[in-house]
Amino acid sequence: MSNARFQARPATDQTGRPDFISIKNFGFWYGEKKALKSMTLDIPERQVVAFIGPSGCGKSTLLRNLNRMNDLVDGIRHEGDIAIKGQSIYDPGLEVISLRRRVGMVFQKSNPFPKSIYENVVFALRVMGVKNRAVLDEACETSLRKAALWDEVKDRLNDNALGLSGGQMQRLCIARAIANRPEILLMDEPCSALDPIATGKIEELIHELKAQFTIVIVTHSMQQAARVSDRTAFFYLGELIEYDTTEKIFMNPGQAQTEAYISGRFG
Amino acid sequence: MEENQKQSTEQPPESRFQVSRSTLLIDLWMGRIIRLGGISVVIAVFGMLGFLVSQIFPLFSKAKVESLAPVNFSQTGNVALGEDEYGEMPFTCDTKGNIIFRKAGDSSVTKTWLADFKTATQASDGQNAAPVSIPVTAIKTYPRDGLVLLGLADGSVRELKINYKITFDKNGKRELEPSIDLQYAGKISENNSAILEAWSVKGTEGRLYICRQQKDGHDLLTGRRLIERKGLGGKAKVTVSEPFPIAADVTDLERVLVPSTADSLLVIRKTGEVRVYQNSENTFSLLQSFKPFGDAKNAQIAAAGFIFGNVSVVFQGNQNEEVVWSLYPQKQADGQMLRRWGKIHDCETLAGVGQGIFPAAGNKCYLSVAGGRMQIRNMTNGSIRWEDSAPASPIQQVIFSRNYNRLSLLCEDGKVYRWAITDHHPEASWNTFFGKIWYEGAEGPAYTWQSSSGSDEFEAKYSLVPLIYGTVKGTFYALLFAIPIALLAAVYVSHFLRPEWKSVIKPMMEIMASLPSVVLGFLAGLWLAPLVDTHLIPILCVIGVLAPSALLAGYIWSKLPQPVRRRVGPGWEFAYLFPFIVLCAYGAWQLGPTIESTFFTVKDLASGQNISDFREWWRQSTGLNYDSRNSLVVGFVMGFAVIPIVFTIAEDALSNVPNSLISGSLALGASRWQTVWTVVVPTAVSGILSAVMIGFGRAVGETMIVVMATGNTAVMEANPFNGMRTLSANIAVELPEAAAGETHFRALFLGACCLFALTFIVNTFAETLRQRLRKRYKMN
Ligand SMILES: Nc1ncnc2c1ncn2[C@@H]1O[C@H](COP(=O)(O)OP(=O)(O)O)[C@@H](O)[C@H]1O
Ligand SMILES: [Mg+2]
Repeated sequence: MSNARFQARPATDQTGRPDFISIKNFGFWYGEKKALKSMTLDIPERQVVAFIGPSGCGKSTLLRNLNRMNDLVDGIRHEGDIAIKGQSIYDPGLEVISLRRRVGMVFQKSNPFPKSIYENVVFALRVMGVKNRAVLDEACETSLRKAALWDEVKDRLNDNALGLSGGQMQRLCIARAIANRPEILLMDEPCSALDPIATGKIEELIHELKAQFTIVIVTHSMQQAARVSDRTAFFYLGELIEYDTTEKIFMNPGQAQTEAYISGRFG
Repeated sequence: MEENQKQSTEQPPESRFQVSRSTLLIDLWMGRIIRLGGISVVIAVFGMLGFLVSQIFPLFSKAKVESLAPVNFSQTGNVALGEDEYGEMPFTCDTKGNIIFRKAGDSSVTKTWLADFKTATQASDGQNAAPVSIPVTAIKTYPRDGLVLLGLADGSVRELKINYKITFDKNGKRELEPSIDLQYAGKISENNSAILEAWSVKGTEGRLYICRQQKDGHDLLTGRRLIERKGLGGKAKVTVSEPFPIAADVTDLERVLVPSTADSLLVIRKTGEVRVYQNSENTFSLLQSFKPFGDAKNAQIAAAGFIFGNVSVVFQGNQNEEVVWSLYPQKQADGQMLRRWGKIHDCETLAGVGQGIFPAAGNKCYLSVAGGRMQIRNMTNGSIRWEDSAPASPIQQVIFSRNYNRLSLLCEDGKVYRWAITDHHPEASWNTFFGKIWYEGAEGPAYTWQSSSGSDEFEAKYSLVPLIYGTVKGTFYALLFAIPIALLAAVYVSHFLRPEWKSVIKPMMEIMASLPSVVLGFLAGLWLAPLVDTHLIPILCVIGVLAPSALLAGYIWSKLPQPVRRRVGPGWEFAYLFPFIVLCAYGAWQLGPTIESTFFTVKDLASGQNISDFREWWRQSTGLNYDSRNSLVVGFVMGFAVIPIVFTIAEDALSNVPNSLISGSLALGASRWQTVWTVVVPTAVSGILSAVMIGFGRAVGETMIVVMATGNTAVMEANPFNGMRTLSANIAVELPEAAAGETHFRALFLGACCLFALTFIVNTFAETLRQRLRKRYKMN
């Protein structure tokens, strides 16, 4: 199988901080079960990093650790540290809530609230205590525009969000996640339930959002990883096997396992 | 991939795709059974409703009155009518005192009794007087006692006993054989004044005779009592009382009305005035005089009659007027409350001049005749039971049979017109159940439920309004207590408490839901009510302090430094909160007596000393009742019955909110509380509403707790320290003593229907709301 079709986009603006998110010797347990073996990697600012690997290898686990969503799970334990802009996310002085405001998240299955489209988008602002209608309206429009959804829904902002199509809902979730302008956007297989056209739109979107956000995306589709990401991390059985620029991973993987996975020889 | 290929290449045997017969059969039969089940549920519900409606329907039907063949007495001049128990052999009495019996079927004469009052005069004083025929001036028949009282113009009286001997002929047909006994004959009036009225006094073996002596345009009324005592030999001994004056200065006397107890006397004057003379120890004194139709010149009284029970009189005027006056406590000028006559009803009337008021013998109905038409009316609720045109000839006397199934009218033309009445529920009408009614003897119109009393003269009071009020009140207090606690607990358990605790608490609450309400009622009545009675203020203090102390705990918590808060893991906050609240509650309990003595000290009316007692304070400062089995106790305990159900269902609804929504909200930086409040609760709102409705249904229908924990008095007061009677408790308490088919019984069923309607209305309302909310927050 030729690697030519995984032609990566040329890396864009590289001026950001290279260790925007820095994961150091991070290991993680669900109860007795070790889900992540100790790993170290840095995620640079305003770049797209893709996590790939077979199911159950711990991609989501690592992603959910970045905004501490795993705290909701009972009996978890971790070692090592994760720091954003040099500040540990486990710093006792740091409220989990404020961490989550900095680190937005888009889930695999779109999960709009059973509220109007408008209320969905401004939800994060509302819980932050923003009451000014003008600010909310403005935020709603900009985030919907950024999520490339504005033209489709601008006439029915007060309709229930659950009336949208699957692709629209996922873009709404993206709009919702970026409405309070976080620094980091985590996406856990955002396109797995979408048709190719919707997927295309979202990939387009990721490309645009990169200018403002640091994006970490988990994906099952290697084509997608190749298309949208600047750097790619390959996981296998809870272990970070290889982490490098996307071009390198796809054209010239350093590990045999990576090579095997990318060429579809196991999975 | 490999498997797919295998399947498409290999030709499968036919049998693999065949569905086994048993699968099909089970499917078919299960489908039928389920359909049957569904249909029978629908039928059961409608059957129940149909049964209820069939039970209450007769309450609102009018009387069925069927005209019977008149009995023709052919001769005129009959003034009094009597009949046997079955109305088969009526008799009339004419102005001379002659009595004729006729068969109802063919009007054939069966017996004639000719009055011979000349000899009677002899018997009275023992002297021989020239035989003079004396006219009869007063006749009274008492069909039930078989008594005919005759008062003569010369002041002598005759008491006749009518007996119907029942014999059976060869064919077994019943034959009546009337006989007449002259029981007493004697002179009552010394001065030979005519007898105006003769009355058999109820409850005694006595009679009251009123003699009328005219003197210079005045009427002098004197009374005399005749008391009959059965001697040892079975022979009645009659003693005649001394004459006693009743009224000396009556002018324009029209007629006299005497209640059957003869303890007072109403003199009706031609001027339209009524004078009431009250009897005590055989002395009559003027109690009150009034004009039922006002002071206008032509405001005369056309007819009047005491309604069964002797507390109310219906007056009929000349100008389409009919009013009911009754004896009830009224505030006098000097502030005293005294029983006086006053108007209690203004009746709808027939158009035309009043021609008579004739009360029924065993209930509160009467026949009102005016302008050529007649109506049977119920005095209490004013309902018209029946209406027809009156016989053309003027009516002399009316007899309602004792059990209100026959009406006989003696007219001047010598005919007795008769009707068969079928009217099982004359006291029932819309007004009876839902209207404000001024009952006899009451101080004003009221909604009252009082279904029975010792006396059959009692006016039954079937207003459902106080019961509906009690139901709403009980439900309100129960829900006021239960809903906030149950819903907050559900929110807490579903989204804040640690799962291992939840798995303990949820089943515990479910067990609590199955606690028999009779146990709760028992606890409420025998343990809680006395406790609340003696420790009301401390208990109120504790309740009052709970919510603020929880808030305070939260505030202090938020001020604690982060490392301290970190120590308490999520879901363990209660371990900090609980002791804090318990401490606050204990403090409030200890403070209770101090508060009571500071704010609720009153002078004890009995001892004159200052006591600190909230109950006394409440009674004195609000004028409202304090009952130890009060709404608070009921609300509290009924709340306990409601909490587990509401909690369980609401908790399910809240737990069923998809985790993806909660994660979504948390990932957007919402706190746990914000997540619950803005995402979880709105999403689960229709389930929560269902929980509340089921709680409402439970509280509305709850019976045993209310029966046991309240005094069951049907009062209409919002006062939280008073009891109530609910529709369901009413049914439970009274159904055993209500005879099937009677008004009381059906009224209880009407109460059940109201209960049904109440829940139906509220549930329908809630269901529409729920559907709308569901649409708004619908999940795909
Ligand atoms: N909440 C959880 N509790 C226990 N084990 C979990 C939980 N979530 C994931 N795991 C386990 O952790 C491992 C990694 O899962 P995950 O991160 O979801 O994999 P991926 O997203 O790469 O498919 C899997 O073996 C999975 O079974
Ligand atoms: Mg995953």
